[in-house]
Amino acid sequence: MAAPFTFTLPPELSAKEPPERRGIRRDQVRLLVIERATGKIEHTRFDKIDNYLRQNDLLVFNSSRTLPASMRGCDCSAAHGPCMEVRLAEHLPDDSWLALLLCEQGDPFGCGLRAGMQIEFAEGLNAAVLARDLNIPRLWKLRFSITGTELVDLIYRLGKPIRYEYVSAPWDLDYYQTVYAKEPGSAEMPSAGRAFTWKLLFDLKRRGIDSAYIVLHTGLSSYMDDELDRAHPASEEEYFVSRITAEKINSARENGGRVIAVGTTVVRALESVADSDGRVSEKQGYTRLKINRQHRLRVVNGLLTGLHEPEAGHLDLLSAFLPAEQIHAAYEEAIARKYLWHEFGDLNLIL
Amino acid sequence: MALRFARDGSAGLSLVARHGDQLNAVHNELRKLAPQIDIVVIEADVSKPRDIERIVATTLAQFKGHLDVLVNNASTIGPSPMPNLLDYPVEDFRQVLDTNLIGPFLLIKNALPAMTERGGSIINVTSDAGQIGYPGWGAYGISKFGLEGMSQTWASELEESGVRINWVDPGSMNTAMHRAAEPEEDPSEWANPAGVTDVFVFLASDESKGVTGKRFQAQEDWKATLSK
Repeated sequence: MAAPFTFTLPPELSAKEPPERRGIRRDQVRLLVIERATGKIEHTRFDKIDNYLRQNDLLVFNSSRTLPASMRGCDCSAAHGPCMEVRLAEHLPDDSWLALLLCEQGDPFGCGLRAGMQIEFAEGLNAAVLARDLNIPRLWKLRFSITGTELVDLIYRLGKPIRYEYVSAPWDLDYYQTVYAKEPGSAEMPSAGRAFTWKLLFDLKRRGIDSAYIVLHTGLSSYMDDELDRAHPASEEEYFVSRITAEKINSARENGGRVIAVGTTVVRALESVADSDGRVSEKQGYTRLKINRQHRLRVVNGLLTGLHEPEAGHLDLLSAFLPAEQIHAAYEEAIARKYLWHEFGDLNLIL
Repeated sequence: MALRFARDGSAGLSLVARHGDQLNAVHNELRKLAPQIDIVVIEADVSKPRDIERIVATTLAQFKGHLDVLVNNASTIGPSPMPNLLDYPVEDFRQVLDTNLIGPFLLIKNALPAMTERGGSIINVTSDAGQIGYPGWGAYGISKFGLEGMSQTWASELEESGVRINWVDPGSMNTAMHRAAEPEEDPSEWANPAGVTDVFVFLASDESKGVTGKRFQAQEDWKATLSK
């Protein structure tokens, strides 16, 4: 699907390092606020977000913890087999994984990647390459020689965070975590909530603005293939909405509060579980829900999110909240005012 | 302590230590004692931040993001026999602080998100050397002074979070670390670690809800602390 609008993102507007390494606190990134009812745009700083929230509002976060999802392995099914970066994308219900395989030498996809290949990692870990994924053909289905918690332990021993070309240094995994991250499973940081500090969360709670958590393990934001990235095929993602969270959401709505999703993953999970009246119940499941301008939001009233690239997927989701031309106007202002994009960048609140 | 928690009905235990053989021995005992308990065993060094990420992630993967209790009892004495501060090698000093102070700081920081939604209990293990500057107890004592100060700060910062934090001085105990620290002393006069676990069980249980920011002495009348 085509993006609702296009724009050119100057390369210097990619955040190259975490805010704490740019000389500001994590909660001092900039905040672009767009009022849904009027389209009015305001420019502020994230630590002033409480000016836009009110009693009984509920912030819903994705508490998935970022995995060090980039691992190095070599094809051991052939003599002198090529080595590659294995980027874990998704843990599947049958305990296999989807992963992007990037050859270390030359063309990243040109070193004879194939089904049947065995990848050997350090510390005795192996993976069999089973098949290409049908939905996203750059991904391969892998089965590791070790599973469960032992595999999690090994991923943390061997892996490092996935790093894109615009990031200036191999920052430690800690920089890729939100302060409230719990269960590990995301290939990339659910970054919309990165700017929150515990102090801010406690301050908001004191003012009657509560927090609730869902889990949705994020996949990869790029398959290192421009055409595929532009098409942004919808992947199936597992989510978990707890009883406590469902109760908080229903209660906030009954009390006139707004449900504000921190991140597009939260929008996807909540809109997947809400009934036609917007009531939410405890649920664990998989979603392929595609949210776009035709989608009528049932439970989510507002969204805190990063600034998205000029490709279809996320901008499409934003158009469920605002007409595309309003988002476009706000993005043009953000570019003119040199907002920063990507996981360490500035944020956008749509209310 | 793990055996006592198992006996007292823990649903799950995450055991962390540097040496796999010792961990496996405890794991085997636990299996016999309480086969129904969900146990995860993690070989790791709490002086290494990367290991701490792994400890918390592996534990939370096993228990689906839930954690009720964190006991910070890993500790190192530093070089043995213990040098006076004037003779203390700086690298050893740093190593002791990394294990006894930075380790608990990072474990709390990483584990806290799993406790804020449902409440939880953090128990830091301290020492009388964390209150009195004994000659020769150099970096160890300083690290415990730091741990007690840090525990106070955490307790005040977490007041509204539903997470309680207390610290326990277990008193003189017959452990390998203590024997190494004072090889000339008679260890038979020291308490068996299994005999000082009551206060830990209390602090881990719902009975201690609302109790936070307190220092307990396991071998004294620790219940008296509750009314102070």
